[in-house]
Amino acid sequence: MSHSKAATIFNKDEKKVNWHDKALWFVRHKRDKSAHSVKGWEELRNLGHGIKAHTLSNLDTYLIQFEENAIKNGVQVHWAADADEHNKIVQSILKAHNAKKVVKSKSMLTEECHLNPFLEANDIEVIDTDLGERIVQLAKEPPSHIVLPAIHKKKEEVDVLFQEHLGTKPCDGDPQYLTGEARKHLREKFIQADAAITGVNFAVADTGGFVVCTNEGNADMGVHLAPVHIACMGIEKLIPKQEHLGVFLRLLGRSATGQHITTYSSHFKKPRNGAKMHIVIVDNGRTEQLSRPDFRASLHCIRCGACMNTCPIYRRSGGHSYDSTIPGPIGSILSPGKDLKKHSTLPFASTLCGSCSDVCPVKIDIHTQLYKWRQIITKETPQPFIKKTSMKMMGNIFSKPSQFDKVGKVARWSLRNLPKGMINSKPNVWGKARDLPLGPKESFEDWYKKRNKDEQ
Amino acid sequence: MSSRDYILKRAKANKPEAIALPKIDVSVFDDSRNILSEFTLKVETAGGNVFEATSDDDVISKVKSMFPDGKVNFSTLKHTKNFNTLNIEKINKPHDLEDLDVLVLESSFGVAENGAIWVADSQLPMRVLPFIAKHLVLVLNKDSIVTFMHQAYKKLSSNDTDFGVFISGPSKTADIEQSLVIGAHGALSLSVFLKEN
Ligand code: SF4
Repeated sequence: MSHSKAATIFNKDEKKVNWHDKALWFVRHKRDKSAHSVKGWEELRNLGHGIKAHTLSNLDTYLIQFEENAIKNGVQVHWAADADEHNKIVQSILKAHNAKKVVKSKSMLTEECHLNPFLEANDIEVIDTDLGERIVQLAKEPPSHIVLPAIHKKKEEVDVLFQEHLGTKPCDGDPQYLTGEARKHLREKFIQADAAITGVNFAVADTGGFVVCTNEGNADMGVHLAPVHIACMGIEKLIPKQEHLGVFLRLLGRSATGQHITTYSSHFKKPRNGAKMHIVIVDNGRTEQLSRPDFRASLHCIRCGACMNTCPIYRRSGGHSYDSTIPGPIGSILSPGKDLKKHSTLPFASTLCGSCSDVCPVKIDIHTQLYKWRQIITKETPQPFIKKTSMKMMGNIFSKPSQFDKVGKVARWSLRNLPKGMINSKPNVWGKARDLPLGPKESFEDWYKKRNKDEQ
Repeated sequence: MSSRDYILKRAKANKPEAIALPKIDVSVFDDSRNILSEFTLKVETAGGNVFEATSDDDVISKVKSMFPDGKVNFSTLKHTKNFNTLNIEKINKPHDLEDLDVLVLESSFGVAENGAIWVADSQLPMRVLPFIAKHLVLVLNKDSIVTFMHQAYKKLSSNDTDFGVFISGPSKTADIEQSLVIGAHGALSLSVFLKEN
C-alpha cells in the first residue's frame, strides 16, 4: 500500500491524529529546550557527524578491532550477513543453553529481522520488556515509533488490552496504575527468563565493550538476572573509542525526549561471573548502503527519533503508514535502499522542509537524500498516471514563459470566480481538507514591474 | 566464504576514502555554570532528590528515617553493618534480591550536566543490585563531580571496568500517552547524598 493510502486510514480518526500530532510536537519542543541549554550544541553535532563518518571510512578495521577486544573480554562474537542468519544464530545460542523463555529489551534490529515470530515458531517465548513494546506486542502490532513504540495508542486502548491479557481492573486508562501492573507482570518474566536479548546503542572498538541506554531499566533487569545475554548490533553501531561516548550520550537523550541523558546508560564489557555473553554483528543491507555515496550518511543514525517528532508528515500520518521497521524521514531513506519497489512512495512522504536535517544530532542530510531517492525512483519505477501527466504538463508550462503567463491568468481568475465546489473537486487533492486562497488580481511579475516603475 | 569475511570484504570495498577523526575540544562547551547547583538541578529534573551529609553514619540515619518501613536493607558503606538485613555473601542467585527495599551504594563520581552518577563493578557486589532495589540511595563526594561527559570519560579511561552504569534519576516511562510515570522496572526512587570529604 502506498504511504498516502495508509495515511488516509490513520487520518480517519481526526481527534486521534490531532492528539498524535500535538504529543510528538511537544516532544520536539522538549528536545529544543534541552538542546538549547547546551553551549556548543552545534559543535557537538559536528563531532557526532565527524566521528561517524570517520568510523564508516574505516569500518572494516574497526570491526576487526572490536571483535578482537570483545573476544579478549570473554564474549562470543557471531557474524550475520542477513536477517535470516541473524535469527538462526540467536536461535542456536538459545538452543545451546536450553533457553525457552526470553526477555528482550528494545532493539530495532531484531524488529528489522523479525526475530520474534521466528523464535515463537521455534517454541521459544519472547517477551518484549519495554512498556511501549510490550503494549504493541500484546496488540500484535509493530512499533509505530523507534523511541515511543506505542505513541499511536490511546490510554483507553491500553486499559482494554491489559484487562484482556494481564487481568487488570478497568481504570479509565490510568497510566500510573497500568504501569504498576506492567511492572508486576514483567517482574515475573524477568525472574523466570533463561536468556536476555538486548540491542546495542554504541559499540566501542578499542574496548570491545558496548552501551545500552534505557529509561525503564528493563535491559539491565533482563541481563543481570538471566544466565545468557545476547546483544544484537548492526555494523554501523561502532565508534572508535570510549571517549567518543561522551559526544553521543550528550546528543542521544536530549535529541530523543529532551532528557539530558537516559536514566540508565549501561556499559557492558565482560559477562558477570558464571554467565555468558554473545554479540551478533549484522549486515542485512548495511554494506550495500555504504556503497552508495549519496546515501551512506544514513548509516550515521543513532536512532533518537527526533526526525520523526519534528516531521509534519510523520506526525499526521503515524508510524504504521510507512510500513517499514524504521518509519519517518530516516526510515524513508533507509527502506528504499533495501527494497526500492516496496518502499517507492516513502521518499515522497515529505514536504522537504528540512526540519529533520535541522534536528538530527549526527547531521544527516535527510531531506537532501529524500530528494535524491525521488530522482532515482521516478526514473526506475512506474509512476501513477495523474502524477506523470500532470508533471509533464507542468514541465511544458514552465518551459515557455508566454504559456506560463496565460495559465497563470486563468488560474488567478478561476480561484477568484469559480464556485468552491468546482475548485475543490475530486482531482484536486490539495483542496481535500483546506480552502485554497483567493487568487490575487495580478501576477508577481506584473506587480514587480509596476513597483519598479513606481520607484523610478 | 564465512559471513564474517563476506561482511568485512564488503565493508572494505564499499567504504569511502579515509576521513579524519575529529578532535574533541572541550573548551567550546564551557558555560561556567556552578557545578554543584547544576548537578543538583539535573538530578532533580531527572526525578531524584539531593541531600547533604556529613558522614556515612549521617547518611544511614537519614536513610532510616526516610524509609522507616524498609524491611530488607543493604549498604556498601563502611561501618554500616547494623543497617544491613541481608548478607550479600550468602546470596546465591541475583533473583534472591527481589525483596530488597533500600539499597545504599557508594559512587566514585557524578556528572553536573545531566545528573548522571557512575556505579561500577568495583562498588557492586552484584550487578543487578541498583536495578532490582525499590529505593536506591547513591552516596558521593562533593568534589568528585565533573562538568561534562567528556571529563567523565577521561576519569574512566584508565579504569578497567567490566560493567558500569550511569544512573540519572529513578526508572521511568512515558509509554502510555506520554504521561510520565516514575518507577518502571528499576528503582522507584533515587536519593543522592553529597558528602564533604
Ligand atoms: S536520522 Fe538523525 S534525527 Fe532521525 S533518528 Fe537517526 S539520528 Fe535521530
